[in-house]
Amino acid sequence: MTRRPGQPARPALVCGEVRTCLLASFQALDGRAAAGLLRLRADEHVRISERPNLYALSPETLTGVDCRLPTADGSKVRAVGTVAARAALTEGRLLQATAWFSAPAAGPDTRRPWGHYLVRPGVVEPFGRLPEQATAQGVLRGPGRGELDLGAVAEALLARLLRHPLLDRKVPFKSRRTHLRWVARRVPEGERAELTRFTLAEDGLRTVELRLPEDTPAAAAAGLCEDLALHDWLLTTVVHMLESGRFAAADGPVAVQALRPAVDHLLHLWMPHARVERSLVHLWEALEREPGFTRQWQNLVQRIRDQLAVQAIRLPHQALSTN
Amino acid sequence: MSEAVFRETTAQPRTRSVQLSHLSLELGHLYMEDFEAGPERLRAHFAEVRLWVEAVRASAARRTGGKRPRISTCFLIDDYFTRFSTPAELLPLVLEEAEKAGLAIDYLARESGCAVADRIEIAESVAHRLVESPPPGSNGSRPPVGQTGWLANGRRTPTTERAALGEVRGWQPPEETAARNHSVFMDVELWSEQDGRRLWSCPFLAAVWQLARLGLLRHLGEPVLVPRPWDGAEFPHDWDRLPPLLQLDPRAAAFSAYRTCTLLPNRFLAVEDAVRLILDQTQVDAEALRQVAARSKGEGLEVPDAVAQRATYIFYEDPATGPVSGGR
Repeated sequence: MTRRPGQPARPALVCGEVRTCLLASFQALDGRAAAGLLRLRADEHVRISERPNLYALSPETLTGVDCRLPTADGSKVRAVGTVAARAALTEGRLLQATAWFSAPAAGPDTRRPWGHYLVRPGVVEPFGRLPEQATAQGVLRGPGRGELDLGAVAEALLARLLRHPLLDRKVPFKSRRTHLRWVARRVPEGERAELTRFTLAEDGLRTVELRLPEDTPAAAAAGLCEDLALHDWLLTTVVHMLESGRFAAADGPVAVQALRPAVDHLLHLWMPHARVERSLVHLWEALEREPGFTRQWQNLVQRIRDQLAVQAIRLPHQALSTN
Repeated sequence: MSEAVFRETTAQPRTRSVQLSHLSLELGHLYMEDFEAGPERLRAHFAEVRLWVEAVRASAARRTGGKRPRISTCFLIDDYFTRFSTPAELLPLVLEEAEKAGLAIDYLARESGCAVADRIEIAESVAHRLVESPPPGSNGSRPPVGQTGWLANGRRTPTTERAALGEVRGWQPPEETAARNHSVFMDVELWSEQDGRRLWSCPFLAAVWQLARLGLLRHLGEPVLVPRPWDGAEFPHDWDRLPPLLQLDPRAAAFSAYRTCTLLPNRFLAVEDAVRLILDQTQVDAEALRQVAARSKGEGLEVPDAVAQRATYIFYEDPATGPVSGGR
């Protein structure tokens, strides 16, 4: 490819994976502690925001890769570059790690000096032409043996953070990690961003397909997907909590115990697109129409409150009768 | 799009830019043994350097299209590996010999300032910015097989181990990742531990020094190793009391620059090759990088893409007489 060095090639594809989990800490972290946890490098700021909720974002780290890209049609494309990763902590409670890369439509046929790749953080250049469709599908399906593994990069960052001495490794309740894989195809600048598919798969896997204008930064796409992953995790976790609470409904105190963590730790976390880049906020609308993320959430919140109200009515009676 | 109404400074930290010359020219990088050899050694050094300085100035002017290039000169003294004499005794001698040769030293730096300056652990921060060049097959699933405290330009010789069936494999050569037909494999020691204290290696501190001269070092968005003006008074009697970077000439061009040129005796060739290896695997502050690229482009003097390419060197025959000391 004859491109002047220094001019970033327009990425044809941006791919990423977000892993979302409950922070292994009995107490939620305050802003200071969150900054301490996410300080991946001493010389760079952790971004801290307090409105509309407490949110901390780590500096980006890079992982060098030189391997085949995951492709759905089995085509073998070697690519070299860096995968960017960062971590975010929301309300000192929900920890997310995201790994992502952008790929230009074509790259040189030989590996260049490593310094070339380091001044393009988060860009992975294919050898020759990038099979866009096959790579996008390959990333969503997950990597085969030896293929670029975004999930592993995100998981390594999570593991590193969860070993932090600030954490007591005690969770206030049980929950499952979710993985959200996403791909964004590029559309010409000026066209409207679109969320074309959100798939709820098994084993906590979700996939998102986007179409984004060329001038949307990859980090903004990552931010949107982190926001989607966080809210999907909340829905998944609270649904699960209510299900396990249902069996306990007959037993008042047990039901209260099952639902209480939702009130203590989760209900205030629902805040769609609080920090999503403005040009991408409307992508939420698609999910609000169908299936209706916020509608489901409100319904769940109402059920939890009703359950607790019912138990509250029952409890004084029991308390009276036992005395 | 309209500007956001609400802003939080802790959510959008800024990176401050630094002033930039066209070229940062290093007139010497001397070690205590050079000073021990007496003023004649310094004199010979500056006499040799003087010739090359003319050539470097001419080359910089050609790049700026005849416009007078902004060039700042600097001089680095080792006070990190060995300590000798005092600034009050040594520095007037250096400045005098430079002046006799017709050279002006604009900035004076202490090598230990590349390790820690103004209580900021600069070397430590740069060490955390190393992103190792991945050998083919690295897919992100395993961290690079790093040898703590060392950095290589390829795959090391595997340690001898028994294969599954117990046969002992023979020696396997190391492999340079960017090899063309044949490898030139290099493994650089970044630091060692002495009495529980980390001793940074000379190439590592020299890499930090290059990044400072290229205007690419920041600590929490603020420039580090910022020059302090010198009031012309006597130099202190203790190296620790000398600011890490001193501006001797108040009218000098900015310390940091788009490019660097370093004049050195040829015994330093291996060290500087190691410096390039380190620079080639260091992820510098993205915003600082962007600022330098934008400014140089605005002047029509675009910098090379990769940071290591911005540093050039002139190696000359060591004018030293007597036994040549190879280490530093």
